[in-house]
Amino acid sequence: MRSLTPNNSFFILLMAVCAGFLQGCESQSVRSAENAVTDYYMDDYAAAERILEPLARKTDENFVLNNARLGSVALARYDLNTAEDAFMRAYEVINSVGVNNGGRTLGATVISENIKVWKGEPFERAMVNFYLGLIYYMRHDYNNARACFENAAFKLRDYGEGADKTDAYREQESDFALVYLMLGKSLQRLGRYEDAQKAFDRTVELSPFLAPVADARRNQRSNILLAVDFGRGPLKATTASGAIVGFVPTPAEEGPIPLPIVAVDGRQVDLDGINRPPVDLLALAQDRRWQSIDTIRAVKSGLGAALIAGGLTYGAVDRHANPYIALGLIAGGLAMRATSHADIRQWEMLPRTTFILPLSLPPGRHDVTVDFPGVPGLYQEWRGLDVPAQGEATYYFRMLRYDNGPHTWPPGNTSP
Amino acid sequence: MFPTNFLTAALVVCSFSICGCTSAVQSGHNTALSGMDLKSMTDQMAASIASNPEIRAAIAARGKLKVVVEPAQNEMTAEILPRGEAEAFTSRVRSLLSSHDPGEFIWIMNRDEFYDLRRTEREDSLGPSPDAIEPDYALTAHFRSLTRENSTGRSSAYLCVYELTNLKDRTVLWSDKYEVEKRAVKAFLD
Repeated sequence: MRSLTPNNSFFILLMAVCAGFLQGCESQSVRSAENAVTDYYMDDYAAAERILEPLARKTDENFVLNNARLGSVALARYDLNTAEDAFMRAYEVINSVGVNNGGRTLGATVISENIKVWKGEPFERAMVNFYLGLIYYMRHDYNNARACFENAAFKLRDYGEGADKTDAYREQESDFALVYLMLGKSLQRLGRYEDAQKAFDRTVELSPFLAPVADARRNQRSNILLAVDFGRGPLKATTASGAIVGFVPTPAEEGPIPLPIVAVDGRQVDLDGINRPPVDLLALAQDRRWQSIDTIRAVKSGLGAALIAGGLTYGAVDRHANPYIALGLIAGGLAMRATSHADIRQWEMLPRTTFILPLSLPPGRHDVTVDFPGVPGLYQEWRGLDVPAQGEATYYFRMLRYDNGPHTWPPGNTSP
Repeated sequence: MFPTNFLTAALVVCSFSICGCTSAVQSGHNTALSGMDLKSMTDQMAASIASNPEIRAAIAARGKLKVVVEPAQNEMTAEILPRGEAEAFTSRVRSLLSSHDPGEFIWIMNRDEFYDLRRTEREDSLGPSPDAIEPDYALTAHFRSLTRENSTGRSSAYLCVYELTNLKDRTVLWSDKYEVEKRAVKAFLD
């Protein structure tokens, strides 16, 4: 052990500078992805997809995130091949363990959390599985759809099982009855009626107000299913020091989820209570359990503050203080603080909820409008949706203010 | 007093951790069926079919068996089997037997796969059109799994059953299975 010399202080300063660089260096690809998110919310799905396609191929720390984003965009424009591939790539990494081995774990802990491969919060992982399942369901691949919805439920069980290992996951599931509803529908289409009924029963057990939409006979009769994404999902927020993340807004701040109405060929359909939200991601996000890295971040932040205070005190109190030591402590503290910033990467395209609306219509082509009377100007119209005599056709609606339509089915870029 | 060696080590470690990061698809592993499973499973099934006495007796009695190949059916819990992989798990058996016992089977693809492959310029290797020949047998596979996941890891026990079924009387001429168990233990940032 030797005393701190100017040479040593240089090392500390260098670390501080490096840390500053890491925090301040926002790569071109990150900015491009942000532009794609903006395009998405401006209803320019094609532009967003063009930006995200190359980003989603890069196997960097944002690989899963960019594929989830690309999946959302491609699904909204009915480019199902691209959407399936993107969600599949995200699914494979999410389902893998040890993804951050080989330097990333240490880097995320010591330097910056952004170095770790983003796999999302449990509700984000569950939604990747849900959308992949929805795509398989739209393609009538009900076995793979079933597998995805089962896996989505796993992600939230994992979430709820903390150190106490109690039945705490039930609380998370109650906000995510959506997957049990879709699991029931998939099993029903596979002819596994008893298992389907169990899934529908579980849906109602978790959220009794979903009884109308989880009715087995109604779902058996349905020949057109509308999957309607509404609102914006939770967003990460940091405190002024950037050390702690939370999710905003809360369901209380945002208010209750408005309910949709549906018009077919200009006439309003009696939805008979099926238009209740089977998930509220804002509520799910509030249940987030902190991961261990949050503790490390808090410790680094506290230690950094202590080093800065120590350096200032030493320099001010001790008349014979070595200025290099004081500066070194302050620089070290700044480095700690700089590297304690929260990882605020998130899947910005997520909705607040997804309505599942199984309808029975006369076979043929119909004009369908989904409207939210409680949100002025929020409606979407599709012309010529194909309704089969047998089986069930599924259509995805992403409700955004600038995307009222009318759209004509099939869209030009549809992949079957 | 400040440990100089510590600072130097910290810098080295930091630099190493930045430079030494693997890609998002390089380090991880999961419990899904892999390419290795595909190879060992289909090798085992092809060998089992080739050496099965009932199949040999059927060939001796009727001549070449006309077999339609169906994609593997995903009956697994929480495990996806994309269409391409589902087809690979049975078409590799066909491919192995075609090359080893060309005189004993007439392989007929299922219609979807045939027309998909015909679009990809491989028509010469596809065999007869499924509309031209009426198959006598179907080669099918059913994949099941018992999958569990919790905060510590994920495990999947697979049972993959292959069958050669007589399409006229629905009797099973041959059946074999492949079993494998996989486990993935979650790490710090999983």
